[in-house]
Amino acid sequence: MLKYFFQRMLLLIPMVIVISLLAFIGLELTPGDPLTAMLSPDQMSSMTTEELDAMRESLGLNDPMLIRYGRWVINLLKGDLGISVMSGSPIKDIIKNLLPATIILTMVALVVSTLIGLILGIFAAIKQNSIVDYLSSVLGVLGISIPQFFIGILAILFFAVRLQWFPAQGRTDIGLNFWQSLKYLVLPSFSLGITLTAALMRHTRNSMLDVLNKDYVKTARAKGLPEWKVYTFHVFRNAMMPISVMILLRLPMLIGGAVVIEQVFGYAGIGNRLLTAINASDYQLVLIIILLLSIVALFASVLIDLFTAVLDPRVRLGSSKNQGGA
Amino acid sequence: MSEQLNENILTLKGLKVQFRVGRRLVKAVNGVDLNVRRGKTLGLVGESGCGKSVTAHAIMRLLPKAGFIPEGEVTYYSNEGTVDILKHNPKGKTLRDLRGRQISMIFQDPLASLNPVYRIGDQIVENIRQHNRVPKEAAMKRTVEMLKQLSIPQAEKRVLDYPHQFSGGMKQRVMIAMGLINDPELLIADEPTTALDVTIQAQILELMQDLQKKLGFTIIIITHNMGIVADMADDIAVMYMGKIVEFGSKREIFLNPAHPYTKALLKSVPVLGSGSNSRLEPIRGNTPDPSEMPEGCTFAPRCDFAMDICKTDPPNFDVGGGHMSRCWLCKGGNGQ
Repeated sequence: MLKYFFQRMLLLIPMVIVISLLAFIGLELTPGDPLTAMLSPDQMSSMTTEELDAMRESLGLNDPMLIRYGRWVINLLKGDLGISVMSGSPIKDIIKNLLPATIILTMVALVVSTLIGLILGIFAAIKQNSIVDYLSSVLGVLGISIPQFFIGILAILFFAVRLQWFPAQGRTDIGLNFWQSLKYLVLPSFSLGITLTAALMRHTRNSMLDVLNKDYVKTARAKGLPEWKVYTFHVFRNAMMPISVMILLRLPMLIGGAVVIEQVFGYAGIGNRLLTAINASDYQLVLIIILLLSIVALFASVLIDLFTAVLDPRVRLGSSKNQGGA
Repeated sequence: MSEQLNENILTLKGLKVQFRVGRRLVKAVNGVDLNVRRGKTLGLVGESGCGKSVTAHAIMRLLPKAGFIPEGEVTYYSNEGTVDILKHNPKGKTLRDLRGRQISMIFQDPLASLNPVYRIGDQIVENIRQHNRVPKEAAMKRTVEMLKQLSIPQAEKRVLDYPHQFSGGMKQRVMIAMGLINDPELLIADEPTTALDVTIQAQILELMQDLQKKLGFTIIIITHNMGIVADMADDIAVMYMGKIVEFGSKREIFLNPAHPYTKALLKSVPVLGSGSNSRLEPIRGNTPDPSEMPEGCTFAPRCDFAMDICKTDPPNFDVGGGHMSRCWLCKGGNGQ
């Protein structure tokens, strides 16, 4: 089991390298260079080509790409993430300030939507073809098909502007005033998580119904087990396998969604910052944020493998017929 | 209910099972009367879709959601008293207490009958501990012993394995062990060997017979295979379109079949040692759609001896010595 985990973790290293290289090349190919971001157009026009070139030379921008990539990676490994050309402050500080807010937002969205989605899905499966089932099916389709930013705008309109239950914009630090910061989290995390809730609800229902028709559930009932035991030990455990994969697959999607939702709610987080950095051609910052997001996505995929291995002995032990222990 | 146990362990009276499929009503079992003798083996035979498996599931009250029992009586006689099975909630305490302890059932497909995520030892232990207050270690010990009785090699190690590490035949042995672990009175085996190859089939059936001799339980074996009933059964019930068309001892059914369907069935399958070198004859036509049942005798459209009277439903005629046949040919005694 541990060996399996380390194998997967080792595989991450080449993948991170490839992704960082691709991101580096991708940004290299976009028009404009850091100088255009550092200097205002007026400054630019007042400087001679030689002056600009000397500046590029001093910043190391004229070196071949691979050398610059290598330098960047070495600095990264040293813990130097570089400096944001837009604000002039170290990227490390920016990340330190903004990343926790985004993590809190996505985690709240993930946990809350997982809980709600699972509970509604299980309920819909147990009460199949009831009003609850039909209602959740309608809500599910709506939740999947309406874009997140639109739900966000609607939520602001109703809950913030009309009912004034929650603030419409911004955030406060979770350390300062816990309840106050929670209030700021409600609408963004709701808008961010609703797609996952809806998808999860349908997925859970179908997975449960699928397992309920399996012969081993009949075997469990033939043993005289009470229904709650049949459901918790035999149905739910097996139904969870595809569901857990789906939840973890959604993790990178949630972070992608956070970019949009943070914008809608003026929530100062890493996603919001990514957009401003792209607009300002702040390459260093964009690179680091992209790298961070892809590491999260890769990590989620390892977690998926790990989770399926824990839940399913066929994955853990391979499908050989030998008697090798776990 | 104590002095003397009923000779029968289970009796069915006019059992009907129907399924709601969309707006249609499918009548799968149409009034089955059956007596299962204590300590004996009853073979329930018939073509696919004749309702034999549904009957077994109705006895266990494990019908799928769409299935329901509009009328009938299923009575179980045990040393603990008589249970009117249809009067109880299928998920209620009384029947749950019966299932897995007094009445066990093993299913057609051993590959699908075991939960893939639990060790097989734990799955059997679950059955023990559902019905007995015993510590886990003792239950596991008993499980190992039972698996040994079913000739599973290295049982001590194998209890720690998962279902996917077992072959089909071994899985069915595990299922039988699970069924017998609480020393039940009645074992219902629903086509226990259909999914297995022929050599394994013989081993499994032999094991079941050996254990029956040792432990003394009653078996209802459901099969479409005449060879299996010839081998195992004491009594045979032949089912066609949701009804028992002929019932009798194995000897009577094989040597003196009264119902044309039984005769056709016997002619259509090779039986080792039946002494005939005649050609196999398929049964003419197909089984009718259970939602559009023909009037009267349901076998009449395929029967070589169909008469006008077959338009009305034949009652059960006693051919002699408990040998019953639902055919108008048997009206005046032996129906040859």
